[in-house]
Amino acid sequence: MLRKLVGGILITTFTFGQTTANPQFSVIGDLVIDHLHKNTSLLSSGIEMAIQGYVNPFARADIYLHKHNDSSPIELEEAVMTIEKGLPYGLGIRAGKFRPDLGKINKDHAHLFPYIEAPSGMAKILGEEFWSATGVETNVFLPLPWYSNFSLSYFDSGIGSHDHSDHEKDEDHDEDKDDHDHDEKDYGSDKQTNAFTVRWSHFFELNDVNHLELGLSGYSGQDEGILGADFKYKWRPNKYRSLTIQAEVLQHSLEDEYMKKAVHPDEKLTAAYAMVNFQFNKSYNFGVMVDYWSLDLADDESMNPSIFFGFSPVEESAVLRLKIGQLEDADHHKKHLKTTVQIIWSLGPHKPHRY
Amino acid sequence: MISFLFGKVRIVSSTTDIADIVKIIGGDHVTVTSIARGNQDPHYVEILPSYMVKVRKADIYFMVGMELDLWAQQIIDGSRNRKVMVVDCSVEINKMEVPTGQIDASMGDIHRFGNPHYWLDPENGKLIARMVAEKLINHDSKNAEQYQSNLTQFENDLNSAISIWTKRFSDLRNKNIIFYHNSWPYFSKRFGLITVGFLEPKPGITPSPSQLNQVINQIKENEIEVIASESYFSDRAPKFIESKINVRTVKLAQSVGAIEGADSYINLFETNLLILAKAYGVSYD
Repeated sequence: MLRKLVGGILITTFTFGQTTANPQFSVIGDLVIDHLHKNTSLLSSGIEMAIQGYVNPFARADIYLHKHNDSSPIELEEAVMTIEKGLPYGLGIRAGKFRPDLGKINKDHAHLFPYIEAPSGMAKILGEEFWSATGVETNVFLPLPWYSNFSLSYFDSGIGSHDHSDHEKDEDHDEDKDDHDHDEKDYGSDKQTNAFTVRWSHFFELNDVNHLELGLSGYSGQDEGILGADFKYKWRPNKYRSLTIQAEVLQHSLEDEYMKKAVHPDEKLTAAYAMVNFQFNKSYNFGVMVDYWSLDLADDESMNPSIFFGFSPVEESAVLRLKIGQLEDADHHKKHLKTTVQIIWSLGPHKPHRY
Repeated sequence: MISFLFGKVRIVSSTTDIADIVKIIGGDHVTVTSIARGNQDPHYVEILPSYMVKVRKADIYFMVGMELDLWAQQIIDGSRNRKVMVVDCSVEINKMEVPTGQIDASMGDIHRFGNPHYWLDPENGKLIARMVAEKLINHDSKNAEQYQSNLTQFENDLNSAISIWTKRFSDLRNKNIIFYHNSWPYFSKRFGLITVGFLEPKPGITPSPSQLNQVINQIKENEIEVIASESYFSDRAPKFIESKINVRTVKLAQSVGAIEGADSYINLFETNLLILAKAYGVSYD
């Protein structure tokens, strides 16, 4: 029902609100080289196509299509209409398929990560490609002296029912290096439940060069819930120098089954990451990240540190990234060093930001 | 809130140059905030949510236009301000370097509608001021007389300054110069400088070692005495050239507040011209 309603809104808006101006069209592609267990693999994590533009003076539309690799089909990652102008009381509406406002990282596309891959703990909760669903979000810009935004969303499917094509992607990997991913794809694939999210975020301009963001998030699906908090501090004295410190934690109250294994009905999966990224001139950035998850009652946890490096010769139209990090086996018996190199490029105005 | 209580017109502008002109024309009847700082590159401004708070209650937003401040639209949209009037200050400008033929990213960071650094010609400052006055009069007609009077005063001040600069700095005419980025065609045309080249091989592209060697050869061939760069660029490339060959490097104010002394629209030109006159060693009294 919700899909039909959202589809109807989008079709009506495009049909009756279409202007003669063409939308912006962008493509981001990348090549990833992984080295693990003395094996080097060359793979593409795909192409992202973005079509963006104003539908009318009040609404804009953003469509993102993602092809994960050579053998995967083109998937609709987001197709969302956003109304930010014309509504009373500072209200805004998003409708369509989009990445819900849950935590800080879920809304970010992978090419924005300076550390190449999504933190594994976050991926355990949100899915390898993160959570995208069909729904409606209303958000309000609160009348406070600082930026404060409150959003409430309803979706036709919960986190467990995300359907990403990392299935195909995983098949291209060396089997034992991606135990986590294989487990991930099975996680709750048969669930089809409605869900709600809520987020309250704040942005403080401490002065011209110091900024602080704080956010609280919540998710409620059938018999499951998530609570989250996030933090980001940025020092940016000029265009080519910045220090970013970002951390986020999500706690997922699990049902009696997780990854097709029975768990205690009170089990909680806690995932967190903390990152420091320093951009020291126009072309280079360097950072460290710690990625963590734990299952409370099962007494199972994993912590993986990594360092990353980025080089962008020409603004953000081409970026080379390197990450060296620890990766644990699924049973935590062995820790491995994984090296990943990513070359990422873009055509059009939608860029792979470095920081 | 205070400005609301006292009935002032709330203005936000993309850059400090426009903000300064708005302050002069609007006087006590306006409050004005600039999104970009004077020492910031106006091509790339990171969009912060706090900017949306600044625009949330604004009555008028003045943009530079010509695709220089493309980021402004996202700030305006994000502010959810249904009533803000958005004004493109470039509408009346006689635009320079409008590209012809197909434009693509291989040409660097090129602007489809021409070089957007038009405020660096003081004559264009008058056009911006007229645009500002017109919009303020439309929005706040009860103070129209004051706005008109402030405009006339500003035009007179600028005319007299241009006349003085033209005489005082006449020795700068026909001097060859190399700039870091192509921000200065309007300025050069007004004050008679001849731009021989740029440190950037293409707009927005960091100079490579081979480009710097080419520039060194250019300096030798054309007997160039000065390399000028915007305040936000690193000194590294100009200083490297200075260490290899007899040339002086200076930083100019591309906007109000970019460097010491450039604290108003008129002082921006006074400061830049003085820096150049000293660098060339020409008289300016």
